[in-house]
Amino acid sequence: MSVLAFAAIALAGAVVATLVRGRRHAGTLVGFAAVIVALGSATVIRADDPLQLGGGALGGDAYLRLVLSLCLGGGLLVLIVARLATWPPSAPGVLLGGAAGIGLALGLAGAPAALLAAGAATGAAATLALASPAAPSRVRALMRELRGAATSTVIGVIAAAIVPATSGVGRVAEPAAASLVLVGMALVMAHRFGAIPLHARVSRLADVAPSAALPVLGAWLPAAWGLIIIGWAPSALGPYASGLGAERGLIVALALLTLLFGTLAALVQDEVEHVVAYTIVADAGLALLALAALDPAARDAARGWLLVFAATRTALIGWTIAFRAAFDTGRLRDTGGWLRRAPALGVALAGILVAAVGWPGLLAWDSRLAVLQSATAGPALLLGYAGSLGTGLAICRMLGVGAGRPSAAVAGAPGELPRLPARSEPGIGSAGTGGSVPAGGLATARAIMGRIRVRISVAGQDARPALELNRVPLRAFAVLMLAGLACLVAVGAFGIEAAARLPGLAALPPVAGG
Amino acid sequence: MTPLLIAAGVLAAIGAAVATGARDARIAALGLAGMLAITPFVADPLPQPLSLAFGAAAGILAAFFMFSAARRLAEPLGPPLGPLAAIATAAAGFAVGLGATALSLPRGGPEAALAAGLAAVAVAVGPIAVTRDVFRLGTALIVLVGGASLVAEALAGTPDPLTGIAAGVALVVLAAAAGALAAGSVTATGGTAIPDDPLAGRATGSRSGAELR
Repeated sequence: MSVLAFAAIALAGAVVATLVRGRRHAGTLVGFAAVIVALGSATVIRADDPLQLGGGALGGDAYLRLVLSLCLGGGLLVLIVARLATWPPSAPGVLLGGAAGIGLALGLAGAPAALLAAGAATGAAATLALASPAAPSRVRALMRELRGAATSTVIGVIAAAIVPATSGVGRVAEPAAASLVLVGMALVMAHRFGAIPLHARVSRLADVAPSAALPVLGAWLPAAWGLIIIGWAPSALGPYASGLGAERGLIVALALLTLLFGTLAALVQDEVEHVVAYTIVADAGLALLALAALDPAARDAARGWLLVFAATRTALIGWTIAFRAAFDTGRLRDTGGWLRRAPALGVALAGILVAAVGWPGLLAWDSRLAVLQSATAGPALLLGYAGSLGTGLAICRMLGVGAGRPSAAVAGAPGELPRLPARSEPGIGSAGTGGSVPAGGLATARAIMGRIRVRISVAGQDARPALELNRVPLRAFAVLMLAGLACLVAVGAFGIEAAARLPGLAALPPVAGG
Repeated sequence: MTPLLIAAGVLAAIGAAVATGARDARIAALGLAGMLAITPFVADPLPQPLSLAFGAAAGILAAFFMFSAARRLAEPLGPPLGPLAAIATAAAGFAVGLGATALSLPRGGPEAALAAGLAAVAVAVGPIAVTRDVFRLGTALIVLVGGASLVAEALAGTPDPLTGIAAGVALVVLAAAAGALAAGSVTATGGTAIPDDPLAGRATGSRSGAELR
């Protein structure tokens, strides 16, 4: 299947899911069905020749298939967790619309077209997530998102346009222009990921956006921006790398500052959503380091690391939804000792910790180290290395809080053990199932069909109270699956390392000439 | 540099100035339509006919979204720059764009595109930097993106059709989002003035409020 077909399916799903979001049951069914269909179509995206469209090209590869499959797969699990906690009416539409935009942005040849698509995807996803129901805080957040997406697109498109003008055939290269381009692209990266001092956007988004929409808005869309820019930079700015020492030093300094202060901020936050938001802020430093390297090897490592980043943040967001639903609060100071009431959530968080940090030999560890080594050396490398463990430290802190004495909120919370509903009255089920089977073939078939119908009805009646009683263990199970998915990505399953070595279509120059 | 290209560039710059400087929201939307419809024609060589038509249609559709939003609004707050100041700013940006060509700036497109693009960017920066009204912000963001595509065209030459289509789609999406933002603001606050930030100055936010669900 081509990327265009996937985008059409996902966009159609987003429209339908958004139209029916006001109806709780129909919205749930349609939303989940649309995400499953889109996920299925993402897994069969072919890595074939790009589709030539009006002088440009749109194509898919193994890496794009991985990005979309992980985005939709992780997003589906987060939707399940959120549905078992509260009803997130806009979340399926955000997930589908965001995935369609990411597919188009990463599938388009040339950085300008890709950046325009990423800007459109960011604006559309933010609008779907924040426009309804209307509230002053959401209006402000949407305003901030649209302003950020538009200005990032503008800076990126102009910066990408400067490079052909300075390095085209028969023109004298302008190192000064190249430095402007690098700084502009770094600004875009910093804003999209929320690097310090542009971090307020991520924190406010975590406050007001529906939790189930946060994986797309906070992790996958920034990752798509990063993939476009990091994929484009080595080929476009690599030839000027030796003359860009000061600019690259500035970006490295900003990256180190972000790694350290982002980690510190994550360690002092009280709300679990804010902790996750500031781990995203901290990891913006690594994305900036990958850009500053201007090195194809760092680009390949960053393409692997960005998948680990997005998968672990998706899992963390799913964990925060389950955590808040379990204890009716997200404040760490009110949830001391939470591990005793929610050991499965603890196991999941430990799994996410392993995925986020990794160990030598695994993709998560090696790709992070490769990015650090390509952009820094000496004390800066040591500083960056320490800062890159910030997400792990923040998770350890949450686990440490869970190991303390149980608070009142924790003591009164339901446990994670499955519970069975009380047995239903026997009369309902036995009415159609008892008695002897009538003679005759047709009558026998009718009787069997009748029994099956009755049994399904009884099972449905039994399942509903069982589901209501077991929301907590089901949520924990879904979060465990999220953590497992993050661990698989961290170990480099699904052929991530081989796929990440392909430069992607955004690295190709745009076709000029009209 | 042909007179036709200069004329198209001047029209685009005037459209941008009207879009960001007009006191009446509907006139601002009409100015936006004028700017976005003429923008694809400020190119040398011109894009393919289909790409040209798509760009103009996308621009008009984007302006239509803003016009629809403007019709439903009570009068929004006035623009940060008045009409005369907006036109003066656009003229200054246009002159700077034309003047830059005297410095032999490396470029692959026409001077008129650079001039019109800088004029559009110059008038859009004010309402974006000092945001008081969501309708004005949305209009300015669309003008900014339109202006940026002109500047990019001046630097890198006429874009390939797929990039032109992507730019058109981005404009339409942005306009639809800006319309939704204005409608949401009216529903939430009764107007299009930027609401106060309820979370500003707090060390931590809380998701427990019903508003956030």
